[in-house]
Amino acid sequence: MPQQMIKVRPTKTELMRLKRRRSLAEKVHKIIKDRLSILTMEFVETARESVEGRRRLLDQLSQGYRAMSIAAGYHGYLALEKELVEAEADLKLATGTRNVAGVRIPAFELAAAGSAVGRYSLADTSACVDQAAELARHCLEAIAELAESQRGLELLGLEISRTKRISNALEYVMIPALKATMKYLHMKFEERDREEKVRLKRVKVLLQQK
Amino acid sequence: MSTIPPHDRFLQEYVRDELRALNAHLPRQRRPLAELLREEHPHVTCNDGGTHLFRKRELEYLAGLCDEEGRQALLLPILIEVGRGPDEAVIPCVAGVSEELLSRVLDMALRADRGRVTIYRPHLALLRRRLKTTTQYVFLQGPDE
Repeated sequence: MPQQMIKVRPTKTELMRLKRRRSLAEKVHKIIKDRLSILTMEFVETARESVEGRRRLLDQLSQGYRAMSIAAGYHGYLALEKELVEAEADLKLATGTRNVAGVRIPAFELAAAGSAVGRYSLADTSACVDQAAELARHCLEAIAELAESQRGLELLGLEISRTKRISNALEYVMIPALKATMKYLHMKFEERDREEKVRLKRVKVLLQQK
Repeated sequence: MSTIPPHDRFLQEYVRDELRALNAHLPRQRRPLAELLREEHPHVTCNDGGTHLFRKRELEYLAGLCDEEGRQALLLPILIEVGRGPDEAVIPCVAGVSEELLSRVLDMALRADRGRVTIYRPHLALLRRRLKTTTQYVFLQGPDE
């Protein structure tokens, strides 16, 4: 595909400007490529983390529900519900951000609210409830971690596509156009030199004929 | 009147903005590990006004790798310089970061050259996996080719 050229006057000054623009464009392209490579690396890592987090969450949820179902079977739903209402506690989630190569990713950390064990009557409940409460706490931690990695994955993906567009525009449009224009200017100057030589030769011949 | 043509000015501003945006997350002041370990929500304030939250698990992991003196000396987050060369990153061995500490984190022998440890992309990925919140990238404009 022929490269589109930039409309410039064929002068040496323009050539110098084009050279400067090309070096600047290449510098920007290098920075963007570095960033893209870091973003891609982080994206792959976050994707891996997200998959692991999802698997861990599913495992813990299944263990938690199993423990809950055993506890409900042992104590009965009504008695268990009564105990669990007493054990209710507010959750504290610390939020902040983490910046990866210019992308702000939310960070969540579940504050250590302490174990739910002991908030209900230990005399009326069994170890099954303790185990279910402990597993439920692990589930909440896994949910916070998964939410962080999932959102990070989305944001990194968006930023990668945006950066890739800029990188491609520079690599396939701007830099080639600058190169093509510079080549055109070089050819134009050579052509002028040749014309000048022919003109001088012609003048020389005319002078000799006189 | 400026003699720089509009295209050049746009590109120059873009380079400046891009570097500024990429490095906006750098902390205003790095904080020692020992101090962060004592906090309920360990964090640092970034140049863009945001907060960078550290994971306690990572802080405890780092604390396990160094002694009390090292914990006082180690300033977090650890900065990783990117853009000096293709496929490599450089970690300056200053502010408590030593080649021994990095060697322990990466499980490999590392040697500092003029106070800087150079690591390559696979090791960088490993380092980021282990120290996700306690490390941060610094983008530098590479040398002119």
